[in-house]
Amino acid sequence: MKKRHQQKLLVLSIGLLIAFNLPILLLFDSTNALLGLPIIYIYIFSLWLFSILVSLLVVNRYYE
Amino acid sequence: MNSIVLIIILLGYLIFLFFIAHWAEKKGNIKWTNNSYIYSLSLAVYCTAWTYYGSIGVAANSGLSYIAIYIGPIIIIPAWIIILRKIIRISRVNNVSSIADFISLRYGNSRFLGAIVTLVCLFGILPYVALQLKAIAETFHIVTKTSSSSLIFNDTTTYVAVALALFSSYYGTRYVDASEKRKGIVMAVAMESILKLVFFIIIGVYVTFFVFDGFEDIYHQASQLTGFEEKNKIGGLTQGINWFFMCMVSLFAIFLLPRQFHMSVVENNRERHIKTAIWLFPLYLLIFNLFVYPIAWGGNILFKGQNVNADTYSLLIPQFFNNDLLTIIVFLGGFSAAISMIVVSSISLSTMLSNNILIPYTFLGKLRNEEQLVNNKKIVNIRKIGIFSIIISSYFIYRFFALDYNLVSIGLISFVIIAQLAPAFFGAVFWRRGSRLGAIWSIIIGFSICMYTLLIPYAIGIYSDNSPFISEGLFHIQILKPFQLFGLDYLQPVPHALFWSLLFNTMVYFAVSVSFKGNYRERNYAEMYVDIEKYSANHENAFVWKGTAYTSDIKKVLIRFLGEDRTKRAMHIFNTKYNVDSNQELADARLVKFAENLLTGHIGTASARILISSVVKEEKVTLPEVLKILEESKENIIINKKLIETSNELKKISSQLKNANENLVIKDKQKDEFLDTVTHELRTPITAIRAASEILHDDDEIPEDLKKQFLQNIISESDRLNRLIDKILDLEKFETGKQTINPSNNDLIETIKNSIEPLQHLIKNKNIDVSFNSSNTVFCFYDEDRIIQVITNLLSNAIKFCPEKNGNITINYKIENTFVKTTVTDNGKGINPSDVEAIFDKFYQSTNQNIKKPVGSGLGLAICKQIIEHHQGKIWVEPSAKGACIAFTLPLKNYETIDL
Repeated sequence: MKKRHQQKLLVLSIGLLIAFNLPILLLFDSTNALLGLPIIYIYIFSLWLFSILVSLLVVNRYYE
Repeated sequence: MNSIVLIIILLGYLIFLFFIAHWAEKKGNIKWTNNSYIYSLSLAVYCTAWTYYGSIGVAANSGLSYIAIYIGPIIIIPAWIIILRKIIRISRVNNVSSIADFISLRYGNSRFLGAIVTLVCLFGILPYVALQLKAIAETFHIVTKTSSSSLIFNDTTTYVAVALALFSSYYGTRYVDASEKRKGIVMAVAMESILKLVFFIIIGVYVTFFVFDGFEDIYHQASQLTGFEEKNKIGGLTQGINWFFMCMVSLFAIFLLPRQFHMSVVENNRERHIKTAIWLFPLYLLIFNLFVYPIAWGGNILFKGQNVNADTYSLLIPQFFNNDLLTIIVFLGGFSAAISMIVVSSISLSTMLSNNILIPYTFLGKLRNEEQLVNNKKIVNIRKIGIFSIIISSYFIYRFFALDYNLVSIGLISFVIIAQLAPAFFGAVFWRRGSRLGAIWSIIIGFSICMYTLLIPYAIGIYSDNSPFISEGLFHIQILKPFQLFGLDYLQPVPHALFWSLLFNTMVYFAVSVSFKGNYRERNYAEMYVDIEKYSANHENAFVWKGTAYTSDIKKVLIRFLGEDRTKRAMHIFNTKYNVDSNQELADARLVKFAENLLTGHIGTASARILISSVVKEEKVTLPEVLKILEESKENIIINKKLIETSNELKKISSQLKNANENLVIKDKQKDEFLDTVTHELRTPITAIRAASEILHDDDEIPEDLKKQFLQNIISESDRLNRLIDKILDLEKFETGKQTINPSNNDLIETIKNSIEPLQHLIKNKNIDVSFNSSNTVFCFYDEDRIIQVITNLLSNAIKFCPEKNGNITINYKIENTFVKTTVTDNGKGINPSDVEAIFDKFYQSTNQNIKKPVGSGLGLAICKQIIEHHQGKIWVEPSAKGACIAFTLPLKNYETIDL
């Protein structure tokens, strides 16, 4: 895998660190239900899923 | 359920796992065992009983914070592509078998540092193993509806623990070389990972969709409960900071936990397995976490107001509905989660214990003088006893200290303790100047603070309110209260301890590292670790060592531990790799490093170094010298790379030369053949001329008309000879560049007409129909005489090949961009596709003359090609349905501006 593509995953890591913590995390701090789960859970789980999809995309396309 | 039945089920389950492991071990290298999915699943050893039971307890009692433990790994896993790969590479080339090896090797192969790391791991992991045993024991009592006995020997779970200890100690020590891959264990752990996930999903689906009516129903009922709001929220800044520290501690744990290091680094077969793990492992964690919330809040709804342990909701709910099968399934899932952690942790801990404390500090002297078989047996036994005593002492910790705590709080203590290795560990990989002293002091200071802020209070018991140590601080100094050190009162105990310990830990690491100069060995390894990409192919080169060593001495040491056969094989590999003469008496740095590496797996890095240095005489090297040598070796590597590149280039050039030579040989042969043909062609008219003139000379009485005919023959043959010689000269001039052309602006149509004119009687003779649209004018730039030569040649070829009846020749022209394309098409037998390229070759006809002899000299088209190319045009065979079609192009504008 080229260095440039490795950096993409590194950037993803940094992005996750920011999105999963203060102050952004508090923006979604609500117990109102969405699909039967409090919104904060929905936020965390969808971000989680997003990171999986991006990682999958990057490694499948660029890992030789 | 009866205890005996449950024990039989457990035994059956253990035997099943045993066979899986055994099968994988036997199958060796097939794709089933060496595959990236197995690797990714084996990483799920991260999900222990803590995840399986404890998360539910946290979600039920304190809410959202259970997720933070998984967020840390999720954040860092994408960066594995860089960090984990580097760690795996370093560990592979150095035969590292545990995190203690990894850290101590980097800091100058320090025996003391290895021992400290091992101790920290022991302190951290023993309570963690205790947590697993506690989970097994408690759930066992719930399933069998027995109560735990205060007498250890009356409690059934004691025997379960002993059985587990025996199982692990038997299975964990199959290899003497600890860096050897244990395919069986990995397979069994991966299998358990699947089972625990599937079982957890089953109970999750059961609770969500059978006990309740889906997520909405649970939400609806749970939102009526008190505390729902605040528990399912981050809740504010302070909690946000707590959350951040929890993320950080789990982020470190995913690298530093000995079992995690073992699975992700030591058991890694191929670097590229990371590719799958990077998305599959987070996916696994996500699925595992989806059903924690519904089970926890489902339990809260069902057992509202009752005093039950929320950790065990997943068992209590099916039991509440009398679903025995589901209860057992859930119990087995938890059991899987617990034992995979216990087995892997105890294996890696006992390896560390033996390789980093017991052997280097006590047994090494004895091992040195024993035979190989005895040595191996001793090492294996040390590890066996190690595993057994680790599990048993964990059981005692559980019985005497951890009975009252919930699963998560014990686990978190372990995480914080393990996190003390973080600065030394990450510094090892990324920072060249990190020094041994810095690492040692950082770990000691960090661990002491952990001890003060976490371990001691927990050992006293945070629930015994009367402890003055906790409520008033050491010596009643308020500022030293273990949970509010220096007055920091808004963090929870775990984040609080993590913050202070890591703060001091990191500061000490940096401060000591930059204040005191490290020794040359540290710096040597620092370069090797940080620049592993450069050294991974032949890392022995990067080892700086000076002194005298004899190959035979080193061999002797190796034989003691590896045995005669393996030593021989290893030496053979070394000699071939570095092209060293096998009879060489003096050993160099590479062999010293190579031998150390070989021993590392058996007895750990520190002991390996001690053993090797006892048989060699090392001279001290100064730090600048190390750097200089490393710089040189780096340069050597670069030069090597360049040499390889140059030699590749040379190879390419030589193959080109070879091709060119082959072409030349062919051309030469063709030339010979051509000369033959030419002389043959020249001789034919000469022979005819000579015959005719001889007759004329010898016989005076030839009739007048016959005489005339002979003379006519002589003239025409001379003409033919003349033409032939002209053509050869022409071609020769073109090819050597002596021939110049004098282009001017001409009308192509006029030129074509001029070319057809002299051939008119031939065309008429053969009854050929020539179609040519001569009404236009097309001006372009060329030497008219030459182009007439070309068209005449093409036309006469076409005439020759036209059939006797209905012959037809078409001349077309078409303006395309900057040139005009002219085609001459006949309806003859056409050109053989294999000849399309070759017909313009002047030698072509001569090579084929025996098969067919289509045209006179075989030079016509070759000359045409030369002429057209001198006009910057192209000539080629156009594919056509019937007959032959030859096309050529001429430029519309003056091309002399273009360099000829």
